[in-house]
Amino acid sequence: METQTGKPLVEMRGVFKAFGGVHAVEDVDVTLHAGEVVAVLGHNGAGKSTLMKMLAGAYRRDAGSVHIDGKAAELASPAEAFELGIETIHQTLALADNLDATANLFLGREIAWRVGPFRIMDSARMRDVAAKVISQLNPRFTNLNTPCRDLSGGQRQTIAIARAIHFEAHVLIMDEPTAALGPHETAMVADLIRELKSKGIGIFLISHDIHDVFDLADRVVVMKNGQVVGTANTSDVSQDDVLGMIILGKCPEGAIPGPGARSNPQ
Amino acid sequence: MTTESLDPPAMNVAPRDSGFNVRTLSLVGLLFVIAVTFHLLSGGLFLTARNLYNIVVQTSVVAILACGMTIVIVTRNIDLSVGSVLGCVGMVIALLQIQIFPQEAAWNWPLTVVIGLALGALIGAWHGFWIAYLGVPSFVVTLGGLLIFRGAAFEVAQGKTLAPFDPIYRLFGGGIDGALGVGPSWMLFVVIMVLYGLGEILVHRRQTRLGFHSKARAKVLRFALVLVAAAAFVATMNSYLKPRSDIGRGVPIPALVLLSVVLFMEFVTRFTTFGRYIFAIGGNIDAARLNGIPTRRTVLVAFITMGVLCAIAAVVTTARLNAGTSSTGELLELSAIAAAVIGGASLSGGRGTIAGAVVGALIIQSLESGMVLIGASSSQRMVAIGLVLMAAVFADKYLSGEE
Amino acid sequence: MKRRTLMSLMAGLSMSALLTAPALAADITVGMSWANYQEERWKIDESGLRAGLEEMGATLVTADAQSSNERQASDIDGLLARGVDALLIVAWDSEAVIPSVERALAEGIPVIAYERQIEYPGVFYVAFDPVEVGRIQARELVKVQPKGDYVIIKGSPTDQYAHYVLTGQKEIIDPLIDNGDIKIVGEQWTDGWVPDNAQKNMENILTAVNDKVDAVLASNDGTAGGVVAALSSVGLEGIPVSGQDGDIAALNRIALGSQTVTAWKDARELGRLGAKVAAALASGTAPEEIEGAVVWDKGPKGTAQNAAVLAPVTITRDNLDVVLDADWISKEDLCAGVTDNAPDACK
Repeated sequence: METQTGKPLVEMRGVFKAFGGVHAVEDVDVTLHAGEVVAVLGHNGAGKSTLMKMLAGAYRRDAGSVHIDGKAAELASPAEAFELGIETIHQTLALADNLDATANLFLGREIAWRVGPFRIMDSARMRDVAAKVISQLNPRFTNLNTPCRDLSGGQRQTIAIARAIHFEAHVLIMDEPTAALGPHETAMVADLIRELKSKGIGIFLISHDIHDVFDLADRVVVMKNGQVVGTANTSDVSQDDVLGMIILGKCPEGAIPGPGARSNPQ
Repeated sequence: MTTESLDPPAMNVAPRDSGFNVRTLSLVGLLFVIAVTFHLLSGGLFLTARNLYNIVVQTSVVAILACGMTIVIVTRNIDLSVGSVLGCVGMVIALLQIQIFPQEAAWNWPLTVVIGLALGALIGAWHGFWIAYLGVPSFVVTLGGLLIFRGAAFEVAQGKTLAPFDPIYRLFGGGIDGALGVGPSWMLFVVIMVLYGLGEILVHRRQTRLGFHSKARAKVLRFALVLVAAAAFVATMNSYLKPRSDIGRGVPIPALVLLSVVLFMEFVTRFTTFGRYIFAIGGNIDAARLNGIPTRRTVLVAFITMGVLCAIAAVVTTARLNAGTSSTGELLELSAIAAAVIGGASLSGGRGTIAGAVVGALIIQSLESGMVLIGASSSQRMVAIGLVLMAAVFADKYLSGEE
Repeated sequence: MKRRTLMSLMAGLSMSALLTAPALAADITVGMSWANYQEERWKIDESGLRAGLEEMGATLVTADAQSSNERQASDIDGLLARGVDALLIVAWDSEAVIPSVERALAEGIPVIAYERQIEYPGVFYVAFDPVEVGRIQARELVKVQPKGDYVIIKGSPTDQYAHYVLTGQKEIIDPLIDNGDIKIVGEQWTDGWVPDNAQKNMENILTAVNDKVDAVLASNDGTAGGVVAALSSVGLEGIPVSGQDGDIAALNRIALGSQTVTAWKDARELGRLGAKVAAALASGTAPEEIEGAVVWDKGPKGTAQNAAVLAPVTITRDNLDVVLDADWISKEDLCAGVTDNAPDACK
């Protein structure tokens, strides 16, 4: 059924995560190939963000395996995910509001010289690089010394995207990428996704709204109550089919049912 | 301006180089107002070499603590235990130096200082572990520490006062011989100004090479101001004479200790990744974590730093009093927090400067000393300092345009 | 319970008419409720108290409230339940303890406030005379510096004890201020009795008067340490300074010549006085008939109470042998660093 062949970029098998007694993610299998855009859909609380945070290294999984480029990955920390080329644009954008654009772009991955126990930052170099990366994305974004709290929603989004571009993501996770944006900026993000896809980057798009992502995605994975309802190529199903998966957990023709699919549809 | 430039001029301003820190400068202004007011009220006693020398020495302990308190507050934590930790470490140093180790041994006092610093680091790590790894709020952990280490300070010698300290150790307190002297003070001034000048030139060159517009005029002006201020400071300290002599005292050693602490902490907070991380954690700890910052380790290190600074302050305090007492440092945590907050540290995290904390400590001590000079009581002093604390934070909020 | 108490009371009354005090103390049990026995000095008090009672054949039972009002209340109930004939209390909180005191008095058990005043009618007060402490300090300074500029470094403003000391100091120096011999050029309270605070205050006062100070009335040895440190940094070490408590560091300063006097309170003596008063009250002696009893009404509420106060011992460089003979301090500690012009005790 999957159109992509060959070794997947990301392969998550039997992934499980519980918070206290609540099973947030239960026995989930997901794959992503190079140059593929996969939309992970579901209601709030369906487990999609938790699943992606495990891939981003923000949560540790309780069980299951993850292979990146065919190699088993522990993903114990965000730093480990970064090393494997997994970048995430979080829904919150993960910006420190008291720091400026440059500081946020390099946050946690500063250019620095190691001197004894200290890592001395090369502020001038970082500023230089930040100016170049950000001007590529948004030429009108010039106030790089302004704390992020004083920036617009689009500018903040730009910083988060600039991180992924600068650190050369192989796998990009975008959590509700257009939720806080106007139509013009939403279109820019769509263009960006197509451009990154053409460069062979695998992209997970997390959304609770199918209309935002259906046209961009090659494939959808629908989750409900922590389980996968089903997986389908967007060419094989209609938006209404996918809505049925999200709302009812009903797996239509043309989709591969997962463990969360309703066993006897009415 | 017919086409939209990819590299507009505004983009080329070098990072962290907007000339002067307005907030710190306005605090310095407040300090001047306080000084001049007390000078007039006390009939010309405040702005004398002798009083300024005293204030510098008296400020050093609170200022050292305020430097550490600032980074703790920047991470959106608090340390209520610093006065008790200071007292406890001071008592351990006193016990070792006066009762345990042979008094005449040359290694006695240096070893006790090293042990004191190690103990400070250990206590800081103990607090940091509870806060960063066990997730107990810092207010609670360090409130516990306030009680634990005040009790421990008593237990070390069952409440006895231990004295006297080694004469060399006592120099850290800035007593009658505890200053550099005239010649070495000027030498120190020259060395520091040369290093500062060279540093500015290096940064300027690098920024120019990378194509930034480095504000050379502002930098020269800043250098000149620092030069004049430092020269005035050294000249003032030199003009305070030792009793019954015409020998100038020079820069007091506690001020030298404070200067070292300030330079180190400025370096750490401005130029290292650790400094960046404490601000990121205070600004948005979730963002810090998602970006791979080792948040727990960073908070742990912040508290270890605070512990070491408590130990340094303990050395200065005990050397100054020439005695270890179990009540040493009582209520000092409040002065340290007040100094950091007056200096611009925000209790909601992510904001604060070392220089501001030092100026904050100077403001508090100037109020304390000035009010004694005009014969005010300790209760009146408390009222005054409380009001200034509130006014400073309000003015800061107002000036920075929040709410 | 009530009957037994009554009987012992009656027995005490009838016997006191016939016998001398030590002999009739044989069946007496005295209770002591400590506020916080962890503090070192109370162990010294207890040794004197126990020795005094044992000599009279009486028994001592104790309880330690460990710095807790609640525990002190239950401690006192427990001691009363054990049938003590007199109750000594070192109050943790002299107000909070009053309900317990009322219970004891209601049962007819004499209550003695030990060292810390409990201002309540019918409570006997046994302590070192804090006013006398102040008198000793002022008296000795005036002896060596009858005229000149004085500074007063007072104790903690929130501690009643500091006010008593100040009262004593003023008794001596006020007449000399009035006739112009002495001028107070600076006075400051010391928050929490913390020596560092005393040091800062003294430094600032020295600035204010440009070092023109002839003597410093420091209220205890801790603040005296701060004062001496401040004096030494301007080369004034050696002018008269007072203190109290007989701290090791202070006694050493007296030997070295940088402090003039300390009012020494030998806690063992207070313990013995407590034993004597407790035994006498338990055996029915009327409070006002106890040897050395005075009426004390200097508390904040002005309540008149029977009291036996002990004068502290004046220690100067001329009688340092007293603290040596009492094994209060070793000669090594006392004379550390003393070279030229040594006091007799260090020779």
